Amino acid sequence: MTGIVIEEVCKRFALDKGEVEALRDITLSLPAGSFTALIGPSGCGKSTLLRLIADVFPPTSGAILIDGKPPATARRAREIGFVFQDPTLLPWRSVIDNVRLPAEVAGVTPERDPLALITMVGLAGFEQARPSQLSGGMQQRVAIARALSMNPKVLLMDEPFGALDEITRQKMNLELLDIWRKTGTTAVLVTHSISEAVFMADTVVVLSAHPGRVSQVIGIDLPRPRRLDLLQDARFNAHENAVRAALFGDAMTVPA
Amino acid sequence: MTGLWRTLALPLAVLTGIVVAMEIAKAAGALPITVPAPSQIAAVAPAQAADLWYHAVGTLRSALLGYAAAALCALALASVALGRPTTERPILSLGVLIDCVPLIALAPIFVIWIGQGPALHVTIAAISAFFPLLLGTVQGLKATDSNARELFHVIAATRWQRLRLLALPSALPYLFAALKIAAPLALLGALIAEWMGSERGLGAMITYALFSFNVPVVWLTILTVCALSAAAYGLIALAERRIVRWAPTGGVGHG
Repeated sequence: MTGIVIEEVCKRFALDKGEVEALRDITLSLPAGSFTALIGPSGCGKSTLLRLIADVFPPTSGAILIDGKPPATARRAREIGFVFQDPTLLPWRSVIDNVRLPAEVAGVTPERDPLALITMVGLAGFEQARPSQLSGGMQQRVAIARALSMNPKVLLMDEPFGALDEITRQKMNLELLDIWRKTGTTAVLVTHSISEAVFMADTVVVLSAHPGRVSQVIGIDLPRPRRLDLLQDARFNAHENAVRAALFGDAMTVPA
Repeated sequence: MTGLWRTLALPLAVLTGIVVAMEIAKAAGALPITVPAPSQIAAVAPAQAADLWYHAVGTLRSALLGYAAAALCALALASVALGRPTTERPILSLGVLIDCVPLIALAPIFVIWIGQGPALHVTIAAISAFFPLLLGTVQGLKATDSNARELFHVIAATRWQRLRLLALPSALPYLFAALKIAAPLALLGALIAEWMGSERGLGAMITYALFSFNVPVVWLTILTVCALSAAAYGLIALAERRIVRWAPTGGVGHG
């Protein structure tokens, strides 16, 4: 099947003394073109799961398939776009040269026109700017344009707007949804904001910590395109409450 | 130009102050016989200019060759050490060991091995400049941001692409810092080698002037070495400003 399939994935990291279990028995199916949010407390392994999909490191056991192929194959076929929490731009390269980097490394012309991508993320006119001349939000836009430059089948984002202020963040989220709709890529967003997860995703996967496990998968059947007035909608709040209940479980009813 | 003047104004004022103070102190008889007045040094300069040039070129050539050899060795060893803790530690230990050996004692042994020719001067200059270059290169090549390393992994970059597109540019600020420290050390190394007995070089010139107790010439030679060291440092700093144009405070991912 198409999309991302994760089957009984476990990940343990070796430490100096013994090892730590980051993820246990993760089984998920993310349909092609869907938008999934991974949410959970720190230490729940949500970033680790994202890096397993990106083939940054292999799972200890279990299997991941991206459109039926192992992540390593998908990665080498340039089918994975990754956005880090930090923009991770090369400071000695101009904006456009940063966006061109994946194509340059692949030794091909970019699958999507870098100029059009820069315009799409709202940075027209900044092509020759250096990253240090841009604000944090603008740098993250460049990182998104770079991730999209090879027209990836999956777009993986690790708290991409975590360092931004609330207003910029809201604006970037709307733009990200717009970009996602235009590109039709399968998106996975790691976040620790409940409202962000509900606002963005078709499916919110709630993870619990130590070790990271799937505690609940919550479908978000809110209409698209999503607009900011949705934040005041009763259905939106109901979904938020459902995610919050899954995150905190019994702690919500027991006095602290 | 005004910016340049502003940076130079204070050092020039201090220098002028020192020269004037020494001139006055010498006239008042407050300085020992081994320290001449600045005007005495200036007085011998025209007659010594040709000699000074001849010896300075010799020293510069040895220092430059030693410097280049040390930089190439450092780059080669650092590339071998890169990403392999098992080789990095012995290579750095070797560097520390070489740095700890007192050159002034090592030089006579090298005279026995390779004679007193230019080869000795180049070798000692290279040894003298080697350790900061090695350390700077190793640290520089390690200074890539961990997210950037993951990025290059995700976009399936080859080892060579990682070195060329990520590790080397990230290392440049460290390389330049090392190059700046090592340049005066290479000159000093060449000078020490020339002390061991040489026909040509500022080290030889100092020795001759010392033995003939020509104090102004000794000081003239010392000042020349200082000027050469400062000039080498300044040239590299200039090249650095030309090449490393991105924000100096923020590395990858902190921009």
